[in-house]
Amino acid sequence: MTGRPEVLLTMPARPEGVGVVRQALAGMADALDFEASVLADMKMAVTEACTNVVVHAYDADSGTLEVEMLAAEEGLTIVVRDHGSGIQPRPARSEPPALGLGLPLIAALSDAFELRGSAGQGTEVRMTFAYSRDGDPADANPVTGTVGIDGRWDPDAPPHG
Amino acid sequence: MEANPIVLDDTAGDVVVVVVEGEHDIYTAPTLRERLDEALDRGGGIVVDLTAATFVDSSVLGALLDARRRALEARQGFVVCVGETVEPGVQRILDITGLVPVLPVLRRRDEAIAAARNGASGS
Repeated sequence: MTGRPEVLLTMPARPEGVGVVRQALAGMADALDFEASVLADMKMAVTEACTNVVVHAYDADSGTLEVEMLAAEEGLTIVVRDHGSGIQPRPARSEPPALGLGLPLIAALSDAFELRGSAGQGTEVRMTFAYSRDGDPADANPVTGTVGIDGRWDPDAPPHG
Repeated sequence: MEANPIVLDDTAGDVVVVVVEGEHDIYTAPTLRERLDEALDRGGGIVVDLTAATFVDSSVLGALLDARRRALEARQGFVVCVGETVEPGVQRILDITGLVPVLPVLRRRDEAIAAARNGASGS
């Protein structure tokens, strides 16, 4: 681990919190002089990670969403964490099923990405965004597939289906 | 004044335009789904105008793709437009998901309305 916690946000894992995280991130990225295109990628990836927590982590609206932002030498690392039941589909919920694009987007938009967690122990998504990019991370980890007939993302489908 | 409004504009007659402004994610996606349902219920073509949107996530894409599927089934035109200068928070997700030809996505609202009127709804 390099760097130290610069910002730690803890809030109820509810939909209205995701925009608050984006606002905090924009402030942090502005202070660190990130390019607008990298900030846009950061906002998207962190939104998807927070959305996963809101949608998948807890059975009831009683859990917390934690977001840590750590400025290090090579870039800004953002950790999105829950203390829920681990990554799994939650088909019993009444809202429309998620598209299933969250993790592919996080992988495509971040310069480094790590997923930690196990059933009952919560989940942690750790994303790093470099201050200076050598190339587009979406070229190295492209989002594959397209939307399937069932409305969920099918990573194995040929594009433009 | 709502900060991130989603309103229906039916001044184009047989094509209703769902105008989406500001940032949209899982918090506002249910409202977008309601507006898209209203637009589909009108029975004509549908244009979703993201020109003034500054950020959309996969929850929004999910809502758009569901509406597109229902429009296809009902033989209603469905087209998204993004304007001439697209926000990175909108362009990027459309580009890397390859959804530009699927939704489909055009630039100007007037060309989107014309395409929706002709029954376009992507590949």
